[in-house]
Amino acid sequence: MQRRQLLKSTAAFSAASVLGAPAIAQASKKITFLTWNLVHLEAPLKGWIAGFIKSRPGVEVEWVDKKGPELPAYYQTQLAANTPPDVIDIQGALGLEYAAQGALLDLTPRLGAEAAVKARYEPAYLSNWVFEDKSYMVPYYVSKTLLFWNKTRFKEAGLDKPPASFDEILAAADKIKGAEKTGLLTLNFDWLYWPLMQMNGVDLLSPDLKKATFNTPKAAEVITKLAEATKSGAVNPISWTGRWVEPNDAFATGNVGMLHAHAPAFFWIKGKGPWINGDTLGAAQMPGNWATPNSHGLGISKGSKNPDLAWDFVKYLTDVEVATAFAKIASVLTGSKEVDKTQLARFQKDDPLAFQVLSTQLEHTDKMCGNWRLGNDSRVKDGFWPEFQSAMLGRKDAKTALGDAERRVSRELRRA
Amino acid sequence: MSWFRRKRTREAALVVCFLLPSLAIFFLYRILPLGWNAWLSVHAWSPLKAAQFIGLEHYEEMLLDDDVFWQALANTLIFIACSPLAIAAALGIALLVNSDLRGAAVYRTIVFLSYPLMTVAVGIIWRWLYDERGGFINYVLRSSRLIDQPVKFLQSFDWALPCVILADFWQVLGFYMIILLTGLQSIPQHLYEAARVDGVPASARFLRITLPLLRPSIFLCIVVGILNSFTSFDLIYVMTNGGPGHATELLITYIYKAGFGQTRFDYAAALTVVQFLLLVVLTVIANRLSGGNAGSLER
Amino acid sequence: MPRPSRRPPGSPPHWPRHAIMIVVSFLMLIPFYWVVKTSLTGENIYAYPPRIVPVDPHLFNYVDVWYMIPFARYLLNSVIVTAMAIAGSLLFNVAAGYALTKHFPGRRWVVMLLLSCMLIPFQATIIPAYLITSWLGVLDTWLGVALPLLSTIICIFVFKASFEAVPPSLIDAARVDGLSEWRIVTRILLPLSKSAIATNVILTFIWSWNAFLWPLIAIRTPEMQTLPLGLARFLSVMEDTTGALYAFVVLVLIPGLAIFLMAQKEFIRGLTSGATKG
Repeated sequence: MQRRQLLKSTAAFSAASVLGAPAIAQASKKITFLTWNLVHLEAPLKGWIAGFIKSRPGVEVEWVDKKGPELPAYYQTQLAANTPPDVIDIQGALGLEYAAQGALLDLTPRLGAEAAVKARYEPAYLSNWVFEDKSYMVPYYVSKTLLFWNKTRFKEAGLDKPPASFDEILAAADKIKGAEKTGLLTLNFDWLYWPLMQMNGVDLLSPDLKKATFNTPKAAEVITKLAEATKSGAVNPISWTGRWVEPNDAFATGNVGMLHAHAPAFFWIKGKGPWINGDTLGAAQMPGNWATPNSHGLGISKGSKNPDLAWDFVKYLTDVEVATAFAKIASVLTGSKEVDKTQLARFQKDDPLAFQVLSTQLEHTDKMCGNWRLGNDSRVKDGFWPEFQSAMLGRKDAKTALGDAERRVSRELRRA
Repeated sequence: MSWFRRKRTREAALVVCFLLPSLAIFFLYRILPLGWNAWLSVHAWSPLKAAQFIGLEHYEEMLLDDDVFWQALANTLIFIACSPLAIAAALGIALLVNSDLRGAAVYRTIVFLSYPLMTVAVGIIWRWLYDERGGFINYVLRSSRLIDQPVKFLQSFDWALPCVILADFWQVLGFYMIILLTGLQSIPQHLYEAARVDGVPASARFLRITLPLLRPSIFLCIVVGILNSFTSFDLIYVMTNGGPGHATELLITYIYKAGFGQTRFDYAAALTVVQFLLLVVLTVIANRLSGGNAGSLER
Repeated sequence: MPRPSRRPPGSPPHWPRHAIMIVVSFLMLIPFYWVVKTSLTGENIYAYPPRIVPVDPHLFNYVDVWYMIPFARYLLNSVIVTAMAIAGSLLFNVAAGYALTKHFPGRRWVVMLLLSCMLIPFQATIIPAYLITSWLGVLDTWLGVALPLLSTIICIFVFKASFEAVPPSLIDAARVDGLSEWRIVTRILLPLSKSAIATNVILTFIWSWNAFLWPLIAIRTPEMQTLPLGLARFLSVMEDTTGALYAFVVLVLIPGLAIFLMAQKEFIRGLTSGATKG
């Protein structure tokens, strides 16, 4: 009676499991390409993949795209199951973390063997993903922070050029602030705000990355000044509470004097702010030419079953033809010297303002900060940022915040 | 005698057969993972390195050195403590729509409408309601002159958690109502009629008949309320991501961040074990308060 | 002849209840209205003050979202997965619920075990769940996505409570008549547990239909994606872009709400039939 029922249900479920045939076929050579939020480029990407396969019979490329917040969950699960995607596109320091975990293939020998390929890449950007003297990723598309300044707001405040020092930034912000207006906005994720500290000589860590060195009177002074400016409205509080949409939208309204963000912000605000043109917006380096990079790199998983094919694919994606098309469609710089030169020349002709913005991305690449080669970057960040944010929003005074942050960061460093 | 034994074994076989499929699912998707977490919590492990036994180090760190854990714990407890309010409100609504009120079905549907929604969508909806520019709440407050400047609810260290709790309240109210309605419907009407004939006043009817017979449903609601601190993961993820600072960090979001954000699955496993034990304790307390044995009505 | 009132003589008037419920309904519906209004309005939604009624309503946001995704395929996937989950869960939960009404040694422990299973959140089980599903060979299949939801403890307890409310005399009479246990369940208990069945169906439907994190991990090929995944995929590159986000939210909600509204007639019938139980 009940046994019959059980048999019936077992049969039903065996039948049901046949209904959904697993879709991962076994091709002779197959690689998986994981991208970070590039779903809007589906058509061109599929085109480039088709181009790659055309000259390689029997090869299959599976393309998986995940949005930023979901990508780590997906990747870690695949790692645990021993089926990691072969080629991955990762943003910023997360690539270093995966490298430190042992998830990525060391690309140094391959880059060493193919000097021409290595020479493609802008060295400063390539070195972003060097961990313990080994190269783990190559640049896919790159950017770093710059200072956008609203010329109209500046003129109103009696200023005609961008600030050249930290104090000048604060002074300008103070002059510009008013009823609905604020002086300075900065992005804050992934250490993007760090140039504000670096230009004052504040170092997060010692050169060997073993000690926290930011708990200094100078740092406390800087933090206090920024917190006071936030309170008075000179610095827009969204700097410390927003992520991407809010700060950029706020600047796009035209009521903010300066925006400290990386180049992709330009295309966003241009879309939202009809007032933006060469006369109303300026692009400059931050004082001291300090900038935090925020780039995407391509890496190969160590567990890849077809590493040579994966490397082929990486080279294909970053060679002149595909990379130029990519740069054009996505309006980015790729960190490949030749491609970027062409891209810049094109902008110089078609869009002088964009040219101004993008030129900053390749200048002063020796002054990049906020990009420590940490294998536990997100943990260090989690130790520092909440305290910094509390100080900025007036919840803690600078000294306490720095002390607490030092304690937490040191603990992370000890554990590493 | 042998007839009796056969009946007992038949009954035992029945119970096993009937329970087996469900238990299999739970074994695979709950118990095994819990075991994995427990094992992992006393090791140091990352997806590519071999595990190393380290005893209670993670727990030490959590309890002695991790202020985020304590804040997440406090927030979780606050979250759970607010559920009795929602349950009481749901009970009130359930009583109102249980009667032969005309249009009761419409009211029931309206109240329940918020539950079938994807929690991510609910988070997006409420984030927009709280927005200081186009949001409804600020609009109402400013139009009625209660405040001058818009309030940034979700960025306020003080208001963020209550705001998230309110959004969750909106979504789960209908669920509580359904459970309580199902319970109310299974109370035999003749009990009420007998009481009415005996001249028992409405309040006493409620306290002596309704509440006791609702024990299983209320217990279920309490457990759901406890579990709510899980399902609110999507809400928090979308609305505040635990911020500002860690003002809306719950244990569940911290577990996820520790695992997939900081790639510390071993530490996340320890957090999971601690959260599990905490919830077991809370459930046991809830069980006691509703009369024991999962609130079921002994015959 | 005035229409006879539906309430027993001497009981309190209905209108205060209506008043309260109308206020409650209004509060519950505001969030929906606000989002729909935002998705339709032509104003700048970030300008203060927002208007209560949509200004220059247009459907462009919806057109945008609709054209970006293979809606039909994702809908099909969601329907199949949810149907499997509902069918399987009814079978499993009814069986388990009935088993728990029996008094057997160790019942207390089984109940506690089940309750404790509820206390294990999905986020903590992602990696093991993935590995187990992979070992079972059902990754990236409809069954694999439905599997974790084939039994839920809440529904088991709902059935248990419902079965326990049936007068034992009925069950004893059926047993005397020689009915097998399963027949007792289907012939006697289930017909009297319509509300429990409806609860199980609706809850499983909701959990399965809205599931996001599990399908995200368990599905690889884009064609197998369920509706929440498929729509989230096309949520524009960097979070919200004015009304399009809210059009997306509305489109995500419509299938779930529509199916719920269609099914809830049964649901309500199940509930009201209980009211006539003597």
